Amino acid sequence: MPSPASPPPSQLTASIELATSTGLRRRAAHRGWGRRLYLAANIAVLVFLLAPIAIVIVFALNPTPFIQFPPVGLSLRWFEKFFASRDFMQALVFSLEVAAMTTLAATVLGASAALAIARGNLPGSRLIVATMLSPLMLPAILTGLALFQSYVLLDVGRPLWGLVAGHTLVTIPYVVRTTLAVLHNFDVRLEEAAQNLGASPTRTFFEVTLPLVKPGVLAGAIFAFIVSFDQFPVSLFLVAPGRETLPITLFNYLKFDLDGTIGAASIVSILLAFLVVIALDRTVGLRSYVKL
Amino acid sequence: MTASSRRFSLSRRRLLTAAASLGAGVIAAPYVARADEAVLNVTGWGGKWGEVMKAEIGPAFETEFKCKLKTDTALPFLPKLQASSRSAPVYDVLHTNSNEQWAAVEMGLVEPKVDPRLVPNIADVYPYAVSDKIVGVCIFTSAIGLGMRTDKGYGSITSWKDYWDAKFNGARGGYVIPANSLGQAFVMMCGTLFGKGQTDLDAAYAALEKLKPIKLVDFTGAMEKLILSGEAGIGILHDSGIYRYDGQNQPVDFVTPKEGVLSLEQVLSITPGSKAKELGNAYINYMLRPDVQKRLAETVWYSPANKQVKLDAKYDAKLLTTPEKVSKLIQVDWKWYNAQKDEIDSRVNRIFRA
Repeated sequence: MPSPASPPPSQLTASIELATSTGLRRRAAHRGWGRRLYLAANIAVLVFLLAPIAIVIVFALNPTPFIQFPPVGLSLRWFEKFFASRDFMQALVFSLEVAAMTTLAATVLGASAALAIARGNLPGSRLIVATMLSPLMLPAILTGLALFQSYVLLDVGRPLWGLVAGHTLVTIPYVVRTTLAVLHNFDVRLEEAAQNLGASPTRTFFEVTLPLVKPGVLAGAIFAFIVSFDQFPVSLFLVAPGRETLPITLFNYLKFDLDGTIGAASIVSILLAFLVVIALDRTVGLRSYVKL
Repeated sequence: MTASSRRFSLSRRRLLTAAASLGAGVIAAPYVARADEAVLNVTGWGGKWGEVMKAEIGPAFETEFKCKLKTDTALPFLPKLQASSRSAPVYDVLHTNSNEQWAAVEMGLVEPKVDPRLVPNIADVYPYAVSDKIVGVCIFTSAIGLGMRTDKGYGSITSWKDYWDAKFNGARGGYVIPANSLGQAFVMMCGTLFGKGQTDLDAAYAALEKLKPIKLVDFTGAMEKLILSGEAGIGILHDSGIYRYDGQNQPVDFVTPKEGVLSLEQVLSITPGSKAKELGNAYINYMLRPDVQKRLAETVWYSPANKQVKLDAKYDAKLLTTPEKVSKLIQVDWKWYNAQKDEIDSRVNRIFRA
């Protein structure tokens, strides 16, 4: 039985409803503010990441031979100059060749190394992982200089394979890391089941292991391509006369001519990186592995 | 097992041996193929210079001297030369500005002088090109003076000291001195203008302090754009950085201050361990030929070091092509500057940090 001081049930219910709805409104208001802050933080990060690209686009499309804001017009003259320049085109093609070779080498070596580390029961595997990742910890310019000195000592000059080896050295860690991440959650029983059903080790590798580690290997390969294509400090010492990569050609150009061609070349590089990701998506179905 | 299958059996050892031989063959093939071809490794610039060298002057040299000219245009040259063996240097001829040549000669990476008996065209160069301020031989020079806008109503500029005028506050362009040889030469000009001479660093530092506010850039290309865009009304620049816009209707001009212009030399020197010294000397002699000098001078607006060069009127009017004009050149003591560089870098970084 309710006490005389207590409010009637309907009033109590109304009070509870009022309190609840006020609480909910407050919580909703809090959530609203929280969401706004979250959105603002995300937008700030996006602006921070994309602002340099926006400036490059403005520079590349502005007809004046210097950065001018607001732009005085819209022109493709710097793109024309970029694509008409034999030096830039040679450098672009050479960079693509080097990046393709590097991607192949880094993917095969890095993925194999990751498999060996994850499955091989190797003594000192942590040390091996640390060693494999060490090129990321060294300043790349020192890696380039050290390789240059090694080639000079070996009296081999500055060959193409030397440049690819240098790029491979700094891109292997990406493939190792991404492949190891996938292997970490790999269910070994799937391989055992395949072998119990009569599959040979080779068949098990190609039909069970490889499809399951593909996302990590592909992610590493994409990193390897992009890092190699944009590689500057290692290339600085290893490019041979007359065979410069695009970043080196751009740097040399920048010293004498700071015009929109640099912006045009940057946009072409960014588009190429996108193209690689799209091509991989179309050919191997990247989207089924990675939530874009 | 049949005889034929025995003949073609492929063991693992054989496969590895064959693969290794093939690999070695692939790597060595270019070297074997070029073993008889003389190769001259030189350094050089990109930009317009690189274009004309690659298209005309380099191929003509290769044809005449039956060799392959390999020009490295990827900076930095000095660390690569340092990293290579002294007995087999990566370059036979080093082409840089004078400050780097002095650094190279101090380290024993290049020979101090070029033998005039082996490079006959040296007989025709202006004295500055082989002076005691030069390592090797100077093949071209630019005049470092003041580049400025002509449409801002600044009035007439005649002296280096006008650069300090308050009307240029906020519109003055300068260099990150540790990274730029024009900026470094300018430090010594400050000592000359406000002190006892090039080596009066205290006077130079005091003068540099008074230049603030100033816009700093790394490269001369960036300084050109700073002036072209109007972001700077005045800046330290070499004459070719302004003259190259000749005929493009840009409101910019080069000022030769009455105190003289600093010399920005293009210098060639030979590396002591070069296996192609004869060809290296031939290259230097070739670069000093009047026809080669004229072609390059009229492409990049550099003043030729050879007195015999006759430039077209347009270039002759602006470049340093007579003994009178050449007498305005002030050469910098780079040997002294390089010895003080760390101290100067530290001090100027402090001055311009703000």
